[in-house]
Amino acid sequence: MTDARPTSLLICALGGEGGGVLTEWLIETARHAGYAAQSTSIPGVAQRTGATTYYIEVFPVPVAQLGGRKPVFSLNPVPGALDAIVSSELLETTRQIGNGMSAPDRTAVITSSGRTLTTQERMQLGDGRADSAELLAVVRRFSREHHVFDMGAVAKEAGTIVSAVMLGAVAGSGLFPFSRTDYEAVVRGDGGRMAQASLRGFARAYDIVSQPRIQAAFVGDLLSNEEHVAPIQRGLEADIAAMFPPQVHAMLALGHARMLDYQGPAYARLYLERLQQVLAAERAADPAGAQGFATTTEIARWLALWMAFDDIVRVADLKSRATRWQRVSGEVKAGEDDLLQVYDHFKPGAPEFAALLPVGLANKVLAWDRARVLAGKTPWALPLKIGTHSVFGMLALRSLASLKWLRVRGSRYANEQAMIGKWLAGVVQGTRRDWQLGHEIALCGRLIKGYGATNERGKDNLLHVLDHLALGADAQAAAQAVAAARSAALADDAGRALDATLLAHGAPARPVKEQPIRFVRKPKTLAS
Amino acid sequence: MEVSFSKEIESLRLGAGETFHGEGILAITKALLQSGVAYVGGYQGAPVSHLLDVMVQAKPYMDELGVHVEACSNEASAAAMLGASIHYPLRGAVTWKSIVGTNVASDALSNLSSPGVTGGALIVVGEDYGEGASVIQERTQAYALKSSMCLIDPRPDLGVMVKMVEHGFRLSEASNMPAILELRIRACHVRGSFEASDNVKPAVSTRAWMENPAGFDYMKLAHPPVTFRHEKLKGEERIPAARKYIADNNLNELLPGKHADLGIIIQGGLYNSAIRSLQQLGLANAFGDSDIPLLVLNVTYPLVPEQIADFCAGKRAVIVVEEGQPEYIEQEIATLLRRRDIQTPLHGKDLLPPAGEYSVEVMSQGLSLFASAYLPGAATESAKRWLEGNRTRRSEVAAVLDKPLPARPPSFCIGCPERPVFSALKMTQAEIGAVHIAGDIGCHAFGTFEPFSMGHSILGYGMSLASRAGVSPMMQRRTLAIMGDGGFWHNGLLTGVQSALFNGDDAVLLIFKNGYSSATGTQELISTPGPHEAMSSERMKSQTHTNTTIEATLQGLGVQWLRTVHTYKVAKMRDTLKEAFTSDFNGLKVIVAEGECQLERQRRIKPWIAKLLKTGKRVVRVKYGVDEDVCNGDHACIRLSGCPTLTIKDNPDPLKVDPVAVVIDGCVGCGLCGENAHAATLCPSFYRAEVIQNPKWHERLVAGLRGSFVKMLQPA
Repeated sequence: MTDARPTSLLICALGGEGGGVLTEWLIETARHAGYAAQSTSIPGVAQRTGATTYYIEVFPVPVAQLGGRKPVFSLNPVPGALDAIVSSELLETTRQIGNGMSAPDRTAVITSSGRTLTTQERMQLGDGRADSAELLAVVRRFSREHHVFDMGAVAKEAGTIVSAVMLGAVAGSGLFPFSRTDYEAVVRGDGGRMAQASLRGFARAYDIVSQPRIQAAFVGDLLSNEEHVAPIQRGLEADIAAMFPPQVHAMLALGHARMLDYQGPAYARLYLERLQQVLAAERAADPAGAQGFATTTEIARWLALWMAFDDIVRVADLKSRATRWQRVSGEVKAGEDDLLQVYDHFKPGAPEFAALLPVGLANKVLAWDRARVLAGKTPWALPLKIGTHSVFGMLALRSLASLKWLRVRGSRYANEQAMIGKWLAGVVQGTRRDWQLGHEIALCGRLIKGYGATNERGKDNLLHVLDHLALGADAQAAAQAVAAARSAALADDAGRALDATLLAHGAPARPVKEQPIRFVRKPKTLAS
Repeated sequence: MEVSFSKEIESLRLGAGETFHGEGILAITKALLQSGVAYVGGYQGAPVSHLLDVMVQAKPYMDELGVHVEACSNEASAAAMLGASIHYPLRGAVTWKSIVGTNVASDALSNLSSPGVTGGALIVVGEDYGEGASVIQERTQAYALKSSMCLIDPRPDLGVMVKMVEHGFRLSEASNMPAILELRIRACHVRGSFEASDNVKPAVSTRAWMENPAGFDYMKLAHPPVTFRHEKLKGEERIPAARKYIADNNLNELLPGKHADLGIIIQGGLYNSAIRSLQQLGLANAFGDSDIPLLVLNVTYPLVPEQIADFCAGKRAVIVVEEGQPEYIEQEIATLLRRRDIQTPLHGKDLLPPAGEYSVEVMSQGLSLFASAYLPGAATESAKRWLEGNRTRRSEVAAVLDKPLPARPPSFCIGCPERPVFSALKMTQAEIGAVHIAGDIGCHAFGTFEPFSMGHSILGYGMSLASRAGVSPMMQRRTLAIMGDGGFWHNGLLTGVQSALFNGDDAVLLIFKNGYSSATGTQELISTPGPHEAMSSERMKSQTHTNTTIEATLQGLGVQWLRTVHTYKVAKMRDTLKEAFTSDFNGLKVIVAEGECQLERQRRIKPWIAKLLKTGKRVVRVKYGVDEDVCNGDHACIRLSGCPTLTIKDNPDPLKVDPVAVVIDGCVGCGLCGENAHAATLCPSFYRAEVIQNPKWHERLVAGLRGSFVKMLQPA
């Protein structure tokens, strides 16, 4: 008996997930089953969505057999001396393993495959998400056994919160010497609807963890999702397909369909012509197709996205489709008998209207707006909240969506086409010099996205890269410089990383944008 | 309406023969009542918030017992409350988070300790130290030493903690010294049990008044010349009396072990970790029987010199396990041994790290060095392998991961009214340039985390405005001080506003008026909105405008430039900030950023909405969303918000590679997404959906007609 040691469990949860309730359940269950137990936690301000942990120890010999002796429990989880870790979030599981908590010869890790993304991951300009497969690899390698399933999904399915699912998972793992009925008696408490939902979640998790086959299916799903390729639209016409090598077809089909949807057949033809230029250059640089026509494929993607630039017409079109209404109904979980009202936020400014005007007129509008700003006013904009569910709102959106004919006559169209031409020329020129250089310039299409200032910033960055890095004397060095600048441009929206990278590769930093200066009157001091 | 503690209040009523089950801090609360405490005060803050929260809510029961409970405006006022125990035989207890609370209270504590107390005075502090702490890492021990207060650091076993509260009062009375009882974070939240005894009604209480004040006694004043006598009394009478009480009642525990020639002296609060370390080293069993004798100091000040000397004399070596710096206890023991010419080698901070929490692993590292020096053996070697294994594993995991894992600090709640202000502030700075931002304590300190990363300094609770007084005269642009309503009432009104007005400072102060002292646990303040029985649409709104104590106070003090702006009006907030930074008015400019704490609002409206739905009444639910085909994947909206429900998912468009923004379940429809999209001219992908549950019949009719028209217009 004196050789027995407490069974230890570390619980990782995020604020608001009911970690406190879970520990209370576990302590009550131990009491119910007649075992000595202790829990501690460090909640602090972590209830405000931060990560936190709870720690529990249970002495695996019934109190009745201890002869009045009391085990001494630890208040801290001991790295490398834990029997189990249960966690509602995959990155937090990995964090605790990284802290040394899990010992591969001792610790069972029960974790949700679900992710609640951190702010750092969410706020990046591109894709800042941690790789779940990498996190899962850590779980596998540094645990005695592991149980992985989507706890959030199970909780949702059962209509409960994740703490009940975590309890079921702990119970199902057989970690503690308590019977299933001990746990259930505590959760049931004095009954009630909440308790029923908790019991459903508990039972489902219990089954998943205690029956490895169900769980294997979960993990299989997760892993196959990792490598899941989005369904590709078929139906590329034969004559178009014949113009391009098969490696390009999938992307080409998507791009071509986008052009038809965005503007029409003539625009789609322009797309194909442009793509042909790049293909010709790539064939010249890589006649054997050793690179699998990767540059043409990438251009098929980025060119389609750029040519389908987002303007009022496009947004109005997307927002007024029936499929969109259905998607929103699903997202907000409107019931059968509920009424749904959807309001769309728009704030078109002078540039958005100028976009649809011919160049001369557009310049006048923009000059007027700039004069406003120089006079210390804010740029002109029209904040709109349009009820898409209303007849008036839908009419307004459909009217705007029907302005495709005006789009091709507008100043923005002209401007975009010129820029696209410049970029493609860069790609073609680069490809002729060195395949890699052309490829890197092609990938810079990623910098072009969005609306307003975001879009402007992307274009400025791309132009700067084309003018100052793509022309470098050594083609291979230029390719490296372009690649570095591209990832730097996605590092921060102020462009600090990009400027640093530009300077490091011998190019000038981007020019400073003019901005009105404000003078603030200060009280008389020695400095004045 | 705050969190309900009805279950906890029930356990306060337990009597002899019953077993208490619950958290450490609640056990302490129960122990106060068992000790016949007459008055309780304090200032909330984790990890001891619950003590006062529970007592405030248990008012009817406290009235029954005759116990007075006061939620003090800050720790100084709580400490001053202990003045009642100077003259009168009243047992009093106050509580706060330490070290910060003790800092604020220290003036009153010095003036209390000098004349000393008649009735037992107990200060329950949450030693916010180590993992999970939210304040600077310093020790309360220093205050006990400098003001001559007893310091109790009980073994984290509920039974011992309760016993030490009861002894604490008697120790205080026996020595005339106020006593501090410190609990570390995990001890506050430890769940365990103890055998309860009956609560004791205080002899003098709110139900049994004193007839007359005490007679005049100059010795009870902290005023010269008696302060000189007080200082002597501390050394000549009080500390010796305390030592006698500690020794007579065996407050410190001497636990024998078979290696009688070695010894460990340890703070009571670290006992459990030490036992687990010894278990890892093969030197203790599961029930705490240690092979090395232990002296567990449940009272870490004053020490009992005879006890220490007896423990150390004749041993091959002794190690002092003392958390934090400086190592006051070890130094005192060293002096004591030296003066008595006891030659036992003394270890402590030479083997243990000077800073940081003594977790089991950290302690094991030190103790394994001690053991391998004096008790070489197989168990020590296996413990070393375990420690080495931890180190190796950490570097292995780091090597497997492509880059370090992103941190997950706490952040503004979903729908927090403070988030929009930081959005507006980000936009303002983009226009007029960066400003110096003096930060403060409170939820708004989450603005220092991503995506805002704002704030240059945090000098204490309510100190922001005062902390920029030396900056603004030196800076071309105006400075901003941010303060919560909690901080404003705690300290900021006087140290900040009054001082800035008196000195004619040119500064901008932004006060978050969310109605509660939220980060400490949404306790009520003098400016908390009153009970609301308003009509439905009114009830859904923020209620903070119903209490204008802050505005009235500022006006009364003479603030000339005062704007109250609702925080969700982002564009207006941005313009107001801009005006404050650029206005020709050169005095103090105060912006009251108003918006009810979302936690409290949800607590208020959730049960009400549930009731409406149950009875089939009309309810409008608001949720925001992002059109995935319109979203540009730049995530500028997230960089302006950081709301947990505004996240990203894989782009459903196979052409696009960057993830799109998505609003997930849990969105409370606060409206910030829409406001930001407008104010910052973001992309047009946001929509606001209003789901009307149980609509009226005419609404259905109109919606039906409208729907068929709209469908005709919609393409697939």
